[in-house]
Amino acid sequence: MLKEKSYIRNKELSINVEQTKIDSLRRKTISKTGLRIYRNGLIGTAGTIGNYDEQVLEEQALAALHNRIPYPYELTKDLSISERYTSCIISEQSLPAEVEELLELVQREQPGFIFSNRVNLIEQETGLSNNAGLDLYEYDRYVELNLLFKETTSVNIYDGAVYFKGRQYDNELILKMINQICDAYKNKHDLPREGRYPVIFETGQLAIPLRKVITGLHGETFGSNSSPLSDRRGQQIFSDRFTLYQASTSADIGTPFFDAEGVVNEGYCYTLIEEGRIITPYTNKKFSQKFDLPLTGAATAEYDGVPTLGWPNLRIRESEKTVKELLGGRVGIYVIIASGGDFTHTGDFSTPVQLALFFDGERFVGRLPELNISSNIFRMCGEDFIGVSKDSPSELSLEKCLLIDMNVSKI
Amino acid sequence: MFKFPDGLYTDVRIENVYQSKVAVTSGDLDETKVRSYRGAFVRVFDGERWYYSSISDVDNIQQEIDQLASFARPTTSIKDHPVVSRLQIHQNEALKFKNDSVSDISIEEKRRMLEGYSGIMDLEPLISSWKSVYLDKRVIKEIYSSKGTQLRFDSQYTWLQILFNFAAGEDKFMEIYARGSDVFSGITDKGAEISDHINRSVEFMHNAQPLKPGRYTVVLSPAVAGVFAHESFGHKSEADFMIGDERMKQEWQIGKKVGFESLSIIDDGNIAGVGYTPYDDEGTRAEKTYLIRDGKIAGRLHSGRTAASLDEEITGNARAVNFEYEPIVRMTTTYIAPGNMTKEELFAGVKEGIYLDTYMHGSGLSTFTIAPNMAYYIKDGKLAEPVHVSVVTGNVLETLGDIDGISDTLELYSVAEGCGKKEQRPLPVGFGGPYIRVRNMNVR
Repeated sequence: MLKEKSYIRNKELSINVEQTKIDSLRRKTISKTGLRIYRNGLIGTAGTIGNYDEQVLEEQALAALHNRIPYPYELTKDLSISERYTSCIISEQSLPAEVEELLELVQREQPGFIFSNRVNLIEQETGLSNNAGLDLYEYDRYVELNLLFKETTSVNIYDGAVYFKGRQYDNELILKMINQICDAYKNKHDLPREGRYPVIFETGQLAIPLRKVITGLHGETFGSNSSPLSDRRGQQIFSDRFTLYQASTSADIGTPFFDAEGVVNEGYCYTLIEEGRIITPYTNKKFSQKFDLPLTGAATAEYDGVPTLGWPNLRIRESEKTVKELLGGRVGIYVIIASGGDFTHTGDFSTPVQLALFFDGERFVGRLPELNISSNIFRMCGEDFIGVSKDSPSELSLEKCLLIDMNVSKI
Repeated sequence: MFKFPDGLYTDVRIENVYQSKVAVTSGDLDETKVRSYRGAFVRVFDGERWYYSSISDVDNIQQEIDQLASFARPTTSIKDHPVVSRLQIHQNEALKFKNDSVSDISIEEKRRMLEGYSGIMDLEPLISSWKSVYLDKRVIKEIYSSKGTQLRFDSQYTWLQILFNFAAGEDKFMEIYARGSDVFSGITDKGAEISDHINRSVEFMHNAQPLKPGRYTVVLSPAVAGVFAHESFGHKSEADFMIGDERMKQEWQIGKKVGFESLSIIDDGNIAGVGYTPYDDEGTRAEKTYLIRDGKIAGRLHSGRTAASLDEEITGNARAVNFEYEPIVRMTTTYIAPGNMTKEELFAGVKEGIYLDTYMHGSGLSTFTIAPNMAYYIKDGKLAEPVHVSVVTGNVLETLGDIDGISDTLELYSVAEGCGKKEQRPLPVGFGGPYIRVRNMNVR
């Protein structure tokens, strides 16, 4: 009988900001443990939140075998890897005072704005082991700052946002980022003309412009001929500058280097699209076997659940150019907030952009009116794909900038 | 039960959760699962700052209270603080689902129900893959406060969702059928509805035309009208966005005219369905709150904190998505009240427009959005060919003013995988409305 144990331990200090002041502090200490039993091609699962008795979990997982959930796949075995992404990040004790100081500085330097939302210090341990020699462990500790801002004269719920996720906390750098965005916000620009512009997304926002590719590369959708990309495996359908990975590297904060079935990719990456040519959709063991596709290690599972095919973290290969070089002397439209848009079934894309700033590649120049951006997925990843920068939008962020030529109009 | 520290307001929310899940992909059983757990959320308030703790080890609640209290600064007048004085005291047990609990239905019966729908998908050759999911959850909450509240109450949902992928050569189409309820019987016997949904989807895939983008008069189905009410105005009525913000208070003054004179939008936690919230997560009893009444702002949604800040009454809308989070102001069941036109009269007034039948998602900032899935042209007052629409957008206030017709029959929907706000999602909510006609919407 094969037995597999998974766990997530989450410790978090969350500082809630209202009216540019600390409103509340929240501590979180949550542990979730799951146990899977594999026998005769079946899987039984059990799990618990909080303290647990492994014997009880095992009995529950054994009893769950009666549900007769098939799992005829070979378990990952004889693999032991431990990753600790620690850094000299701020301590839990000193974070509230640091945030308080930051907010005082922000109030002083940006008195025309009200800031709200959260600064989180997150410590996460994720583990997966089995009695066939698998032992995978990841520890990470990072800061997630997500401050919403609005002008004091505004009637909106919020007007903009400042966000980063990283393993560094530095008030000076955060203030610099806030000032850059807020100063640009105050400088209203009109859209000189409606038409094509280089539109810039942070790579953490890939789900906005690439949703059609992400859903189209889902192994089950792809393999069952339900995806517009289904018949295109091996074909060059996008720009030869467009290479897409499934990624779980140290830069992909919050994504463990192993999936829910213990699959670990070399370099913690798997290439799905190589220079515009579709190599493979992303898969778990089930759909890899069912559709005879490469196994990319994209399984996910609830702590007490059966592994299933998830939505993996994706990255586009970075170019050798900075944003400024990619812009090639043009001014880009940097998307801060774009909420609510989508693709049609034929691949046409349209979304409102609630906040966009003009960006010259090095600094934000000014705020644009609310815009609509539109295109088609084959153009966005094809002839209109400009590239991903080698530089980050801020010194605190691990994200890069994705540039695509798109149609831009005022709402 | 707990020793609450002097000079501080403290409350404890314990959640006793039962959940189950069955999932089937294209006929293969993926998962059947039953989960039970307890978790707790502790709040301590010293009049200046709130201190929260979320723990999965419920045996250590007293220790958490004591630790949070050590960060706070006690004050003798805490009971008179405007937030604390507003918080209600209830000592009650209200277990609505005691004799109709999803935990009393075997996982085998839930599996039979879900697998019973599989044959419907097998009958349609254009379905290339599908995934059906059944979810349920019953939560018994206990709330204890330093003011004397001792509450025990429950809420419950069931959720059926089937995602269909259709393929006919190059044509691909995805659509979702979903139904929610507060009882198991609410999602059984849906075969005819599912078949009809599949047939409409196939017809859409075969015949949908490209859209000529522009401004149209748009008729919203009751489900889409519900999303519109929720996104366009519901979120604006959540008073946490107004705290300390004089400009917002001025803009959203009670009595201000914001829409069509027959327009009323209501939030009510007493309504049966997944938005049913007999008490909120501060122990406040549910209220029926008019957000807009006859076209004018009539009220807003409150927690104790926001009510104190705006010097208004609490409304029972402080909700947390689960024991890991603090309660914030959220909707319960939000709907547009019916008007006096028939559906036929509503459509008859449209020479050329768009009908939004089903939706994928919506959002609501200054510009709200609805991403429809199945949409149709309206020509000369009649439904015409289906059309591909990415997104429909509008400015909230302008759009409320552009409503010019409301039909006479209300339909309510329960969405278990419902609303997201900031970090807290998905919160079960109800919404709905009648058919709504809106002029001049931006359709892309």
